[in-house]
Amino acid sequence: MEAKLLSEHYSDDSYIGLEGYKSKGGYAELKTAFKMKPEEIIEVVKQSGLRGRGGAGFPTGVKWGFLPKNGEPRYLLCNADEGEPGTFKDRVMMERAPHQLIEGMIISGFAVGSHKAYIYVRGEYMDSVRILEKAIQEAYAAGYLGKNILGSGFDFDLDVYRGAGAYICGEETGMISSLEGKKGQPKLKPPFPAIQGYLKKPTIVNNVETLAAVKYIIRDGAEGYRKYGTEKSAGTKLFSVSGDVNKPGVYEVPLGYSLMDLINNECGGMREGRKLKAVIPGGSSAPVLTAEETGRATMDYECLAEMGSMLGSGAVIIIDETRCMVDMLKVILHFYHHESCGQCTPCREGTGWLEKIVRSIVDGNGRLQDIDLLNRVAENMKGRTICALSDAAALPTMSFIQKFREEFEFFIREGRSQVKG
Amino acid sequence: MPKCTVNGIEVEVKDGATVIEAFMKTNESIAHYCWHPGLSVAGVCRMCMVEIEGNPRLQIACNTPVQDGMVVYNNSEKVKEAVEWTLKFHLINHPLDCPICDQAGECGLQEYYMSHGSYDSEMAERKVKKHKVVDLGEKVVLDTERCILCSRCVRFTDEVTKTNELGIFNRGDRSEIGTFENRPLNNKYSLNTVDICPVGALTSKDFRFRQRVWFLKSFETICQGCSAGCNVQAYYNENGFYRVKPVPNEEVNGHWMCDEGRDVYKFANKEHRLVSGIKKEDSGLSHMAPGAAAVQLREDLSDTKKAALVLTGQYTTEEYLKFVDSFTKNYGNEVYHWINNPKTFDDFDGILLRGDKNPNTVGLLRVLEGKGIKSSWADLEEKLNSGQIEHLVVAGPENLAVFPDLEEKVTLFGQAQKLTVLTPVKSKFYESADYQIPMKSFMEKDGTFVNHKGIEQKLGRGPIVVSQALTLLDLSMILDGSDFISVNSASMGGSL
Amino acid sequence: MFELSPEGKELVKKELARYEDKYSAIIPSLYQIQKENEGWVSPEAVDHLSELTGIPHSHINEVLKFYTMFNLKPTGKYHIQVCCNITCSMFQARELTDDLCQKLGIKEGEVSEDGRFTVSRVECLGSCDNAPAVQVNETYHDNMTPEKMDTLISELK
Repeated sequence: MEAKLLSEHYSDDSYIGLEGYKSKGGYAELKTAFKMKPEEIIEVVKQSGLRGRGGAGFPTGVKWGFLPKNGEPRYLLCNADEGEPGTFKDRVMMERAPHQLIEGMIISGFAVGSHKAYIYVRGEYMDSVRILEKAIQEAYAAGYLGKNILGSGFDFDLDVYRGAGAYICGEETGMISSLEGKKGQPKLKPPFPAIQGYLKKPTIVNNVETLAAVKYIIRDGAEGYRKYGTEKSAGTKLFSVSGDVNKPGVYEVPLGYSLMDLINNECGGMREGRKLKAVIPGGSSAPVLTAEETGRATMDYECLAEMGSMLGSGAVIIIDETRCMVDMLKVILHFYHHESCGQCTPCREGTGWLEKIVRSIVDGNGRLQDIDLLNRVAENMKGRTICALSDAAALPTMSFIQKFREEFEFFIREGRSQVKG
Repeated sequence: MPKCTVNGIEVEVKDGATVIEAFMKTNESIAHYCWHPGLSVAGVCRMCMVEIEGNPRLQIACNTPVQDGMVVYNNSEKVKEAVEWTLKFHLINHPLDCPICDQAGECGLQEYYMSHGSYDSEMAERKVKKHKVVDLGEKVVLDTERCILCSRCVRFTDEVTKTNELGIFNRGDRSEIGTFENRPLNNKYSLNTVDICPVGALTSKDFRFRQRVWFLKSFETICQGCSAGCNVQAYYNENGFYRVKPVPNEEVNGHWMCDEGRDVYKFANKEHRLVSGIKKEDSGLSHMAPGAAAVQLREDLSDTKKAALVLTGQYTTEEYLKFVDSFTKNYGNEVYHWINNPKTFDDFDGILLRGDKNPNTVGLLRVLEGKGIKSSWADLEEKLNSGQIEHLVVAGPENLAVFPDLEEKVTLFGQAQKLTVLTPVKSKFYESADYQIPMKSFMEKDGTFVNHKGIEQKLGRGPIVVSQALTLLDLSMILDGSDFISVNSASMGGSL
Repeated sequence: MFELSPEGKELVKKELARYEDKYSAIIPSLYQIQKENEGWVSPEAVDHLSELTGIPHSHINEVLKFYTMFNLKPTGKYHIQVCCNITCSMFQARELTDDLCQKLGIKEGEVSEDGRFTVSRVECLGSCDNAPAVQVNETYHDNMTPEKMDTLISELK
């Protein structure tokens, strides 16, 4: 069952503009929020159980709580550098409901005491940039942004920053580097952004969906929001579903929703009635699930973690029986090799090595020991670098081999794909 | 002051110190490439992995602050395996061209391969091809295939010289260090990038291919190039000196030295040196042993009524003390200080370079003051111009390059009826002098230089290049009447 | 010698003041340069930008070469970027690219003889529900097929 909280009005074109948005209850929660104390908002967000929707799933209220308690200037950054392969829900959100994000950001900014915020949008999303810029102008004109918003005494400035093509800028400190006008290379932690982020000032980075959800937590309260989802995975989530289903797209369902139901109900089942082979449940960096695991999976942080995978950004890639897993891994590894920022040695060198090994298998030059080598290279890239890109290449490698080993062995033995003849 | 335990050794570190600093304090070995005490922390080479009790994930020591009671080790199997793999990652695209690499023998990759190598290459794929023999500037050459992208050199030009010539371009395993076209690495400290490069990526044009490092010996001494007094390591073998590198000294030069200072070893080498005493006679120039020339000088001076002494700030304090004493006792108080570049004498570039291109001006001034000698250069000029000086003895510079006024001054000195030049190096301008007496270079003697801040620093004595050359101490003894010169060749390097 | 138009310079000036730090102006300025310089950023343009902003050359060059949306050589009037990431490659994006290159008689990254086209493989465009996705300059085209590509090319003059 879809649970349309954030996406209720996404199909309504008028929701893009300020008037249409207001007519559907837009900016009402901002007024509610201004009647609350900032720390009350943080508490409600904590109680709601909202977790970061960008990929890591870190509890949002807890993250906000890491900010220093003094009045030191701080920044709120919205991470709209949506780049995890398979993910496209942020784009839909920004293009269908820009004011929803803006309202969520003002409330969040008020809660954390930030007066300056940026939305970092990936460079390819030019439409999103234009739509957001227009909405921001509208919001300034209507007094939702700028000085003394709605007489609250709260000042809040918001602007858009357009990236220029680098997956790594989706990593929050990579994004901060990029916004600072540098290469988008992740920064060492400690210090964490909440202490020293953008321009060395305390900074909160939240995903588009996370910030938009704050509006609904204010509207429905922590308990109201918790009506959706599970104990550890509260609320709804937007899933970007692509691949071998009849109706790929963005679907909002409560967390804890059955993956098979998502495939069969929301997405209209498998394309051309083919058999399900595998699902990548959380973007291309998430370990793959077999068909059998998919049958048991529910879409929440804890179930997927238990299965050794992750919810990630909620990018669900459905793979049917006609797909060659060796070839798919090659595509995935090419991506991480292409996107490694090059700072940390294990990632810089390891991503290329992994891709080359799988490529040589696909080219018919594989050796049986390559399977073990892939595993060992991946194992030693994991958890050894500044950010998680290294893991993002290692995890799919290990899971593809673990779960589809015979396809790799076949390819090496026969010099051709097991499924493509 | 938090305490922690490093491989079982308890150590106290200063507040805010990182785990790698704790390792350094205990002398426990910890592999690292990108960390450098004079630069910001990059945390990218991932070599300094440690296990911290209570933390299941390995951490890098360079970015982990020590917390009181922390128990850290890097000798567990888990850490060893991680470091071995990190080194493997460093090497898979490395050209492994050690036989033709100038860094061989002092290369971080070689060093850690001994302790952390897997000794079994598993890389069967083609290596990434990158640029080789890239001319970065006047002094430095780059091989990007050897580069491990530790970013030390980039941080150096960003943080120390703030000249920003270097960058890392492209990303992933296509990343390469480089300069922007027509913006070469020509800052005054560029050779420090070669020192801090842990591998053979950056090499010095002056030094490369001239000598294998394992044929070189070295000793610590003080740079002679200016009044900063940078601490240096000088490298030599039986053919002479080959290079100098900075030695860290927080009070004086931090971790660095300038490129000018890199060249001062050259004039200590034989080809630049005056090797025998020379006396001008009616029949022409007569060559003799330095000590013999000094004895003749003494005899010559004994008839002199008006002798004067000119000193440059290029000798040791001990030499000044003894020589000024001996000279004034024997010939009177006419002692002058030759300032080679008065207009730029007080310049400072904000990093290390001082306008005073003498290593011991402060030492000289202290000695003159101690002896109550007050003299002005104008006085000397006037006396020379009016023929009042009979015999002028000049303790000339070692480093002629920083004496732009040399020719002009020697012409001025030539107005004395007799001129004696004490000099470690040859110069055509000295050919008209009545006596030229070979002196030892700063590489060959003991003594003290006092830097611009007044910090007294001892020279380290290296090998003797010109065996019979004198110091001002030797010459003092001769002027005081001794005919017996004991030339001390029992220096640490022996004689070249 | 490349020089930005007066409007371009005005934009750089505005971007220098727009964010908290002037370095943030590099990316928007490089976009503007690319727009005015046949779709790419030349070394002369980096020189020019360094002069305009006072930001070191090497720093601008680092940024330029880090982000894939900046081109380091001239591109055609229409830069056809085919996503060949996971979902799009499941729906023949790679074959579509090869086919397109063959039809235009160019290799990836090259400019067609008439100066109209450059074809590049790119990473996930965030349009996986419409795979394969293609971006031409700033415009997305969904669910591309060889036939749709033919029509598109004939429409791009």
